Amino acid sequence: MAPALCAICKDARALIIRPKNHQKLCKACFIAIFEAEIHHTITTTSLFSPGDRIAIGASGGKDSTVLASVLKTLNERYNYGLDLVLLSIDEGIKGYRDDSLETVKRNAVQYDMPLKIVGYDELYGWTMDQVVEAIGKKSNCTYCGVFRRQALDRGAKMLGIKHVVTGHNADDVAETILMNLLRGDLPRLARSTSIVTGDESSEVRRSKPLKYAYEKEIVLYAHHKKLDYFTTECLYSPEAFRGSARSLIKNLERVRPSAILDVVRSGEDMAKLVPEEVTGISQCKSQKVSLSSADGEDEAAGGCGSTSGRNSGGEMADMEKRLKEDEEASAREIDVSAVAATAPNGQPHDRIAKVEPKKPAKQEAGRKLTRQTLGTCKKCGYMSSQDVCKACVLLEGLNKGRPKMEIEVSAEDEESSTLRREMEGLALAAG
Amino acid sequence: MPAEEIKTGDVSLTLCKRCHDEEATLQIRSESVCKKCFCQYVTTKAIKRMETYRVRGSTVKAQRKLLLPLSFGPSSSSLLHILDQHIEGQYARMNRSGYELFVVHIDVFLDPADRKDASELLEKYKGRFSRHTYSSVGLEEALLLDNIDWKALGIQGIPDNESGLPATERLQKLLGSMSSATSRADIASTLLTRLLVDVAKRNHCESILFGESTTRLAEKTLTETAKGRGFSLPWQVSDGASPYGIGFNYPLRDLLKKEIVTFTSLTTPPLTELVIFQEKPSNISASSKTTTIDDLMAQYFESVEENYPSIVANVVRTSSKLQPLIGNDTTNCGLCGLPVTEGTDGIYGWGGDQNSDSRPAKEDGQHGVLCYGCSRSING
Repeated sequence: MAPALCAICKDARALIIRPKNHQKLCKACFIAIFEAEIHHTITTTSLFSPGDRIAIGASGGKDSTVLASVLKTLNERYNYGLDLVLLSIDEGIKGYRDDSLETVKRNAVQYDMPLKIVGYDELYGWTMDQVVEAIGKKSNCTYCGVFRRQALDRGAKMLGIKHVVTGHNADDVAETILMNLLRGDLPRLARSTSIVTGDESSEVRRSKPLKYAYEKEIVLYAHHKKLDYFTTECLYSPEAFRGSARSLIKNLERVRPSAILDVVRSGEDMAKLVPEEVTGISQCKSQKVSLSSADGEDEAAGGCGSTSGRNSGGEMADMEKRLKEDEEASAREIDVSAVAATAPNGQPHDRIAKVEPKKPAKQEAGRKLTRQTLGTCKKCGYMSSQDVCKACVLLEGLNKGRPKMEIEVSAEDEESSTLRREMEGLALAAG
Repeated sequence: MPAEEIKTGDVSLTLCKRCHDEEATLQIRSESVCKKCFCQYVTTKAIKRMETYRVRGSTVKAQRKLLLPLSFGPSSSSLLHILDQHIEGQYARMNRSGYELFVVHIDVFLDPADRKDASELLEKYKGRFSRHTYSSVGLEEALLLDNIDWKALGIQGIPDNESGLPATERLQKLLGSMSSATSRADIASTLLTRLLVDVAKRNHCESILFGESTTRLAEKTLTETAKGRGFSLPWQVSDGASPYGIGFNYPLRDLLKKEIVTFTSLTTPPLTELVIFQEKPSNISASSKTTTIDDLMAQYFESVEENYPSIVANVVRTSSKLQPLIGNDTTNCGLCGLPVTEGTDGIYGWGGDQNSDSRPAKEDGQHGVLCYGCSRSING
């Protein structure tokens, strides 16, 4: 059998089957098209302006390393006029982050970019290893996610930079979309697909230039460009909903390679269908659900969490329990009419409808809502939609030597429903 | 919660939590109930969704006609059974009914032997639920719908009407030309919906009553999302008017699939002999070439339903809150017929499309408008 020729240049031998569409390509054409697509994403979304200083959230993993390499290449090739800086967060996970930071340090030399490292210990007084020691392995991704997001912003501010780019890829975005559907989180569903979060008024914007790039292609690109990156995955496991969504995405990709892109497209379309009044609430009576993009559990922290998804599924079980309690409470109302319906007194069925028609879910969305406003945290002054930012709440819990949820439950106002607290707990658990 | 128990000799019975009368042998979520209360629960859940079609006032109005697509699966069969009893009850009380059913079976199998089996089975249904009108239509008739302009869609290799080939063969060729099992299933179900709408309109039905359970609607939410059809969810999981000018209703939307399957064996006489049960999704391999996204999601929600039934229901509640885009700048997809925002071009020309070299060359010439999902299935 004659060797297949590259589908693009029709000249060189095809060595790569493109994961996105199974096209057979030669190495040079694959690298060219991978870069061209990211250039396309950047230009069509007007992501940057000449003179921008951009911090690349660099973990040393494949995604951020590829991002740094591609941005450097494109910046030089197309004269973006960007000033690129590497920004790394040291979560303080021994055997994982200390090694990967060495990679980032080498990258800084290889790409000739300045590097800034910000540590959880200096920002919060806790390393992740200490956090895990204090709270156990359950929901530690929550802490890490909330801390990391804020740490990136603070690092950027220290550098006087207003725009952080992260290595989130198409797989991450698709995973987040499925996860938000599974958790029933419409506000996050509406937010998680946009390529840029934060607007002109935000102190720090963040964006994901690799939003449409497949994880597998990122690995191929890193391999063929012989990039120096760190492959070990985080030692701590992902939250159950995310783990579940992640394995679903991998299976979908196997059955139909375009599925990852198709989920991303669906997510973008669905974001427009989320009713405006819902974007502040999640199917419960609460009017105070965290909304701020500063809170930081919207997305997978690129490169964190293992694909094996070994976890107890505790978060799903917790949510099930919560939802069930809520159902049972509302089922008691229904029972009234159900009994009436069965009453053998010859009453027409039709009358029972008047007893207590259950309010359809849709109308709940129509409830009057208070808008969330972005303010600053009373404690640390960092932007937050709550009085005290999430990082400070978590920290307070840590510092008191007990889990954060207890504090929140006891401090809540009376009208808050069980479900609401649970939902918030879940949101937190998203990592 | 400690269950109520009574001692009869040495055997202790758990009493039904609802009637406190009969032995509890079944479960509604976490509640132990008897057979009778279980059936009552299932029936009430479905009938509650039919409140719009109750008998109103004393004036005799023209009866409303509703289309019930019957696939012979547990859900549509149970729905038919429940509504048959509902109508019977209405007749018994007021000598008339708020609605009548037009039952249609769409033959999705093209093999004559399968069709013969289907028509024999449909006769059994007619025998048991005799007050309704029945009809049977082959899926290939979707090719003859005058509101799908196949030529404008520019699908290659599809012999047209004038080719003289029987419609079944042309349908086979059309589906055979799709690049994956998922695309075949996707286009087949799209055609099925279009055909149902057409049958409903031709027979003056104001709504279609789909038998889909909570579990199925949750599956559908994620399946449609994974097929790039997220934009269409408001019409696929919510009760109400569809863009086709006809209502879509899901009376079994508050019941789990496993509850419906149990129900089929509890009716008198049981529905089980009429129902065709699908192979359990858990037996489907995730790596086979014939595996579809629909299969994967069925498999996924089968396991979620087992341990986390409330999460299944929550997915449906969530997707039902999505609202159709309001605005005039839409045009209908040439294949599925759903409104798409003008200026979109199927899988082409959006952020994720990115580069013309990364996809098969688009044919020259004028194309009808396709939504992203249809475009993905047809253009690969």
